[in-house]
Amino acid sequence: MSSAAGPDPTEAPEERRFLRALELQPQLPDMGRAELSSNATTSLVQRRKQAWGRQSWLEQIWNTLAVCQSTAEAAALERELLEDYRFGRQQLVELCGHASAVAVTKAFPLPALSRKQRTVLVVCGPEQNGAVGLVCARHLRVFEYEPTIFYPMRSLDLLHRDLTTQCEKMDIPFLSYLPTEVQLINEAYGLVVDAVLGPGVEPGEVGGPCTRALATLKLLSIPLVSLDIPSGWDAETGSDADGLRPDVLVSLAAPKRCAGRFSGRHHFVAGRFVPDDVRRKFALRLPGYTGTDCVAAL
Amino acid sequence: MSSAAGPDPTEAPEERRFLSTAEAAALERELLEDYRFGRQQLVELCGHASAVAVTKAFPLPALSRKQRTVLVVCGPEQNGAVGLVCARHLRVFEYEPTIFYPMRSLDLLHRDLTTQCEKMDIPFLSYLPTEVQLINEAYGLVVDAVLGPGVEPGEVGGPCTRALATLKLLSIPLVSLDIPSGWDAETGSDADGLRPDVLVSLAAPKRCAGRFSGRHHFVAGRFVPDDVRRKFALRLPGYTGTDCVAAL
Repeated sequence: MSSAAGPDPTEAPEERRFLRALELQPQLPDMGRAELSSNATTSLVQRRKQAWGRQSWLEQIWNTLAVCQSTAEAAALERELLEDYRFGRQQLVELCGHASAVAVTKAFPLPALSRKQRTVLVVCGPEQNGAVGLVCARHLRVFEYEPTIFYPMRSLDLLHRDLTTQCEKMDIPFLSYLPTEVQLINEAYGLVVDAVLGPGVEPGEVGGPCTRALATLKLLSIPLVSLDIPSGWDAETGSDADGLRPDVLVSLAAPKRCAGRFSGRHHFVAGRFVPDDVRRKFALRLPGYTGTDCVAAL
Repeated sequence: MSSAAGPDPTEAPEERRFLSTAEAAALERELLEDYRFGRQQLVELCGHASAVAVTKAFPLPALSRKQRTVLVVCGPEQNGAVGLVCARHLRVFEYEPTIFYPMRSLDLLHRDLTTQCEKMDIPFLSYLPTEVQLINEAYGLVVDAVLGPGVEPGEVGGPCTRALATLKLLSIPLVSLDIPSGWDAETGSDADGLRPDVLVSLAAPKRCAGRFSGRHHFVAGRFVPDDVRRKFALRLPGYTGTDCVAAL
């Protein structure tokens, strides 16, 4: 695997968290790039420690922030799992989709929901994010929610076709069109799962039906759960001038950079399957999982 | 699918709690061919659920450091593949698995699952001590993933047969995946067989599970669609919450 897509070896892992902290918290004092060499960073921290005689607020930020990945790093992590660890794509999509469904049950526990609130609209795009959505819908059905899928642009990929068959054979309805009038969606469903676009996909790349669906979902008043990144957000900057505002974000494997701008109610990470060595290699620091949970709340 | 592999019409539907070997094969065929599940998918679901069953039977907080060590003995067929996935998930759940997988299948799925375990630093034993006391002392429990329902004990080679002979004398807990290896899947004739403490039935219990007399019997079958369950007239306990296994 080329190192160009891996972490920058000249940056110590601790620095990467520090740099990320700055990017995501612009109200921190302006350090100026010149100070961000390794020696300067270390001495800066030490000076602050001495100044306050306790764990510095920077370190506190480090400890509370989940480290986020750039799009290139996320792609490199996935490539490592597929090529070095020999995970199958079917396996990874199944693990992510199952964990996403578990996250939905944690954010919206079934016993507290009325019959109508259990109805879930899952909007799937044509790429991997959509495949994860299909698996998520199937597990939601197993967990006794009532999913309906809108999957307008069906991939010809074998994995997508098989996942679609599994959902169809489990009697999960597929909508042939999505109402443009958002009030119809608000009234018919209890919540919506956005599995349209993942980090690597440009919004302009997908076709009309997905773009129109996203336009409708922007006006949603029922809860919205986004898988990996809110569809339409820039994965790096989280620029969402025009984008979705999900209530729940389920980061797959590790949070992406744009997750720093997520301001909804719950942020889960579905990354238990990521081996420790991979996590260390990408200098990811993630919350501990309890028991056999496959998702952790951030 | 031929109706010959369907449920026995003389059995009342609400009584059916077990599958014959032929029915188990038919159920799997239906999942693979009609429902288009992938084998990788099913093995992952079964292996993950098996690991969850182990955590329910032997919860981590109650175990000492030595008791967290788990020996997973994997055979060359699908049962062994499930064992490899189970070992990986046990590692994720912070147990300390070690794998004994003497007869490595050349099948791509097995090779990939083996790589995943190796890359996660799960040790693979090159030989299994014939002196069972060494196993009793080194591990807290053993997972038996040697033989599944469709495999004749005589079909597998020497190392697996010897491993089973050693495991019969085990005094630490034993968890068998799907059926206790070496049992006849129909009759449960176990004159010479393993006596597991825990049985984790995959998809649905097999007939021989009727003779299981250990502490815990789990079913790892949440992924089986309702229609398939109805088709085979299976009646099994409900799952709670997001659990993938249910205790019988």
